[in-house]
Amino acid sequence: MKRAVEIGILLSRSGGYSAISNASYAGVAAAIAGVNADPNLGVELIPVARDPAGQIDLYAPLCREILRNSSARHIIGTITSWSRKEVLPVLERAAATLWYSSPYEGFEASDHIAYMHACPNQHLLPLLDWAMPRFGQRMHLVASNYIWGWEVNRLAREVVTTAGGEVTGERHLALGETDVRGMVDEIAALRPDFVLNSLIGPSQYAFVAAMRPRLPDIPILSCNLTECELSRMGDAAEGLIAAGPYFHAPGSAFANSHEAAAHAAIREMARLFDAHPGGEHLPLAELLALDAGAGPVDAQTHHVSLPVLIAQVRDGAFKVLHRLPARPGDPYLTRPERNRPSLRLVT
Amino acid sequence: MTRRLRILDLAGARAAILHRPHATVTALERQLRAIGLSVESGWPDLPAAGREVDFLFFDVDMGFDAQFPWAPGQSPMPMIALIGSEAPGRIEWSLSHSAHAQLLKPVGDNGVYSALLIARAAFAALHGQAARISELQGRLAARETVVRAVMALMAQGMSDEDAFASLRRMATDRRESFEAAAARIIARHDDPQRNGGGQ
Repeated sequence: MKRAVEIGILLSRSGGYSAISNASYAGVAAAIAGVNADPNLGVELIPVARDPAGQIDLYAPLCREILRNSSARHIIGTITSWSRKEVLPVLERAAATLWYSSPYEGFEASDHIAYMHACPNQHLLPLLDWAMPRFGQRMHLVASNYIWGWEVNRLAREVVTTAGGEVTGERHLALGETDVRGMVDEIAALRPDFVLNSLIGPSQYAFVAAMRPRLPDIPILSCNLTECELSRMGDAAEGLIAAGPYFHAPGSAFANSHEAAAHAAIREMARLFDAHPGGEHLPLAELLALDAGAGPVDAQTHHVSLPVLIAQVRDGAFKVLHRLPARPGDPYLTRPERNRPSLRLVT
Repeated sequence: MTRRLRILDLAGARAAILHRPHATVTALERQLRAIGLSVESGWPDLPAAGREVDFLFFDVDMGFDAQFPWAPGQSPMPMIALIGSEAPGRIEWSLSHSAHAQLLKPVGDNGVYSALLIARAAFAALHGQAARISELQGRLAARETVVRAVMALMAQGMSDEDAFASLRRMATDRRESFEAAAARIIARHDDPQRNGGGQ
């Protein structure tokens, strides 16, 4: 007889970035089905789902609603850093836990969050490390105007200028903005060696569509692009380069890294609850202390170890060009042994 | 004033916490270790590594001068005040030790990283300013020397403009300050073997 355990799901299955949320949801749904069908696991996961529809001010109230109306203390969800930071005070008050399965900009290690996707030492740093010797050191930065883009650009600028490179320009677009003409004109005039693209949603689709016919020879790199958005861009996506912990290959289990990370998060929750009955009511730190390092979530940083893959869109699918072994997440970039050797120059 | 923060150079940094054993210390230690610093705590004595650490967190509620092996305001590292009671007398004491940043107790899930960056920047700015002020004070004190040196050169027949130009050239040639060049002129002038009068 399995023990029923309620878990929260807080994903915007509608709204501007629903493609990413739905990719995560697919991983959650598959993992819950797998756990519930697994006779070796003593728990049955009961999802308690809320949809903030991409509206930032709905995240905290809906998170509170899950915690009030159910016994769930572990919640998976939030895609943007903004929404993650919105629910954090709510989690803290309830001693609840967020399992976060999107790539993010680092510089956070909450006691109440398990970070299951990549942070900059697992995406941005190895991507720049790979790109600079190949394309050159003149980098152009484009991003959506919020914390993800700001911090990715901030860090990319520091890394590239420390290496002796140059930032040809930095431009931001409001979320949802699709007028990219000025941005593309500037890139055409400056001819950087590569563009680091941290645009999200429709802005990214418009940018890629405008760049492809006009400047097909300038590489466009991203730390937040996965398969789940390729269909929105069609042929214009050809040649795009992305870094991530996982890319789909024929025969592999997941369609993209959002799905893979969300799936891993649910499987890890189930393993913890199964190994430590009652653990579903404990705060993450206590649960990890009980578990004594048996699982993937690091007790100090609450981040996980992930491989680094760099892939390029070819014939409508990502093809992996470069593969690095798994490295632990280093959210504050203070553990040089976890990063590329050249970072030691600035420590 | 804009100041670029370097975020890649906290690697290997060490912190000490001067506070009695308390949930605040536990929360601080957790955050510091998550950020990647090593940390030692002690009370009422500074932990063993106290003088060598890169950051010192100190309790404002119970703290006292004798805890620090340096004069108030002369800490060799950035200091972060841990403030519980906001009584003005305690804030005043914390200021006398030039808190470079502060955290309000109880310390919870966040706040330490920004306190580290702000304290480090404030500490560097204070030291930069102190060095600049000391340099300016030296130059101010040497005003009389400069005037006397110019007058000495003028006494040898130079115009005031030529006297200044000559001083500036000497300073540049010997890579010394204008004031140091002036001091040498006076020394030469006052030396009866060298000033012509004794020959």
